[in-house]
Amino acid sequence: MAKAKETLIPRMEEPVSSAPPSTAAASVVGISKRFGKASVLENISFDVGEGEVLVLLGASGSGKTTILRIIAGLEMPYTGKVILHGKDVTELPARERGVGVIFQSYALFPKMTVEKNIGYGLRIRKRKRKEIKETVNELLSLVQLEEHRKKYPSQLSGGQQQRVAIARTLAYKPEVLLFDEPFGALDTQTRVHLRREIRTLLKKVNVPSIFITHDQEEALELGDRVAVLNVGHIEQIGTPFEIYNHPATEYVATFLGAANVLDAVVRQDFIEVGSAKIPLTVDKEKFKPGDCVKIVFRPEDVSLQRGDLMRSGHARLASAIIEEIAFVGAYERVRLQIEAGDGCKTDETRFLLTTETPDRKPSKSIIATRPKPEASATRLHVGERVVVALTSFTVLPPQGSKGAN
Amino acid sequence: MSSIVPAMRHVRGFDVARPLSIGMLVFMMLPLVFLPLASIFIFGTSNGLDKFWAALTAPEAIFALKLSMATSFWATVFNVIFGLFAAYVLSRYNFWGRNALIVTISLPTAIPTAVAGFALLLLWGPYGTLGRLLAPHGFQIMFTAWAIILANIFVTFPLAFGVIKPVFDTMSHSLEEASATIGATRWQTFWHVTLPSLRGAIVSGALLTFARAVGEFGSTILVSGNLAGRTQTAPLYIFAKFNEGQIEAANAIAIVLALFSFLIFSVLFFARDWLDVD
Repeated sequence: MAKAKETLIPRMEEPVSSAPPSTAAASVVGISKRFGKASVLENISFDVGEGEVLVLLGASGSGKTTILRIIAGLEMPYTGKVILHGKDVTELPARERGVGVIFQSYALFPKMTVEKNIGYGLRIRKRKRKEIKETVNELLSLVQLEEHRKKYPSQLSGGQQQRVAIARTLAYKPEVLLFDEPFGALDTQTRVHLRREIRTLLKKVNVPSIFITHDQEEALELGDRVAVLNVGHIEQIGTPFEIYNHPATEYVATFLGAANVLDAVVRQDFIEVGSAKIPLTVDKEKFKPGDCVKIVFRPEDVSLQRGDLMRSGHARLASAIIEEIAFVGAYERVRLQIEAGDGCKTDETRFLLTTETPDRKPSKSIIATRPKPEASATRLHVGERVVVALTSFTVLPPQGSKGAN
Repeated sequence: MSSIVPAMRHVRGFDVARPLSIGMLVFMMLPLVFLPLASIFIFGTSNGLDKFWAALTAPEAIFALKLSMATSFWATVFNVIFGLFAAYVLSRYNFWGRNALIVTISLPTAIPTAVAGFALLLLWGPYGTLGRLLAPHGFQIMFTAWAIILANIFVTFPLAFGVIKPVFDTMSHSLEEASATIGATRWQTFWHVTLPSLRGAIVSGALLTFARAVGEFGSTILVSGNLAGRTQTAPLYIFAKFNEGQIEAANAIAIVLALFSFLIFSVLFFARDWLDVD
């Protein structure tokens, strides 16, 4: 854990990528959590703006559920604060926080009808019968379950139960909605359908929401912003566009879909990847010559061509041999063997290696995808040598100290 | 059932094992269960229904039945409430000695009822550990209806608990968490969320306890004093009348008790779906 901290702290001090939300509806400040001696969360901080949907994306064991439970008041943080609409609620029990939690199992009350479930929050708040009835009716129509009002949860489909769960929390106007892997128990079709529905619904009711999921597609589609978690710390927070196209770390890059990662060295005005020199145009001030970095690019950022002539916006990476071509529906996936850099060495050794043993360069597989029109216009064959060009890529800052890698 | 039968039929045509095994089962149960039960009814009504009715409505018989019902009722009320409480505590909290408590609660099932009655006598009796201190103040618990209730509580102690606890254990914790985040207090959560889910377990636990208490003999005979018209429960009445040679009188009550337990177990069996309805 000490090691994770070393790499974590300097990164936390960098400003988070996207503009902070204008007003924070919910904030988590410096949360850490331990179970016994095991540290599960380290110094987690983020804000959720009014009406914003923030997705906490992480693999299982990344601590995302624990964050949610801490915000809900079902778990106490070891250090740090939870602030809801400007009020420090860290010490408040769950029932006084006014948060709405949508559990993965829905947690609908099995002996209550749909109506009773939705009205529960108001009943225990001793609201007038008429007011409860009106609110329940309103919510039933909002989640389109009017005809199921008298049914019991066990008589509903998973998606319908999910909507009852949401309506049940919306009834008492929660400060923030917390979704704990809400689509985990549903089949792919329902979950795609339901998450679009919920996205529309959330925009309509304008309640700030925190979603947790391990599904990157879900995160990109649902979130106004996405926070990527990795073993108890936040790797990056940003808009879906930012974290997909400009991942801050290798973990983020590879966790959000397929990514090719290659070692590179920063030079004066370009980046050296193997024998290729790619002009470094953005973020120049972040690096200094000699830095060992990694470049990351998505399979769809790769352009394969036969000639050496570069179109504008394309940067030549290397020549490569096609190893495999697979048809995967919407596009064609090509695996190529590329001459890559042999890790990052100091300038001298690297120089020696590249000059003295030119034909023993290590090679690496990369993946490229080609959309249908391109694939059918230029047919490629296994074993063919092509030129690999990049249309877009991200340079990851050097990790830790230089000698470590 | 329908899914099991075809799988067993590995041979084409008539399956001999099926009628044979069913017949065997019934045949074995005949002398063990069916015939003894049947003989109560046959004997009880052999002298005519009016005789049966007269035996049943004898004041002492009525009293014994009423006393059995009343003492069993209060023992059931106590044990259901206690079982609920104990199940809640023992499945929600983990503490040192928890398993020892669970074993202790379950112990009375394993103790012979005569021993249970004897133990109560040694505690509450006129010369008992506690009874000795209470007797000078005019508190006499043994040989009263209270003693019968105490004995009933003791021997049926783990029954309701045993039915309720597994339901608590398997109940999804997220229901209570959901209720808490919605804003409910612990008590509201218990009343609106936890208790309704326990309805089936509570009803079946209560029926089991009641059925067991009504039939209790071994401990009752020791602690009650077996005074006709005062502390004589229905099973004691059967025993006493049998000893006096009044077989019809004993038999009439025996029929009532047999029918009664039959009724309770029918409810338990056939109302299962209703009790566990979601």
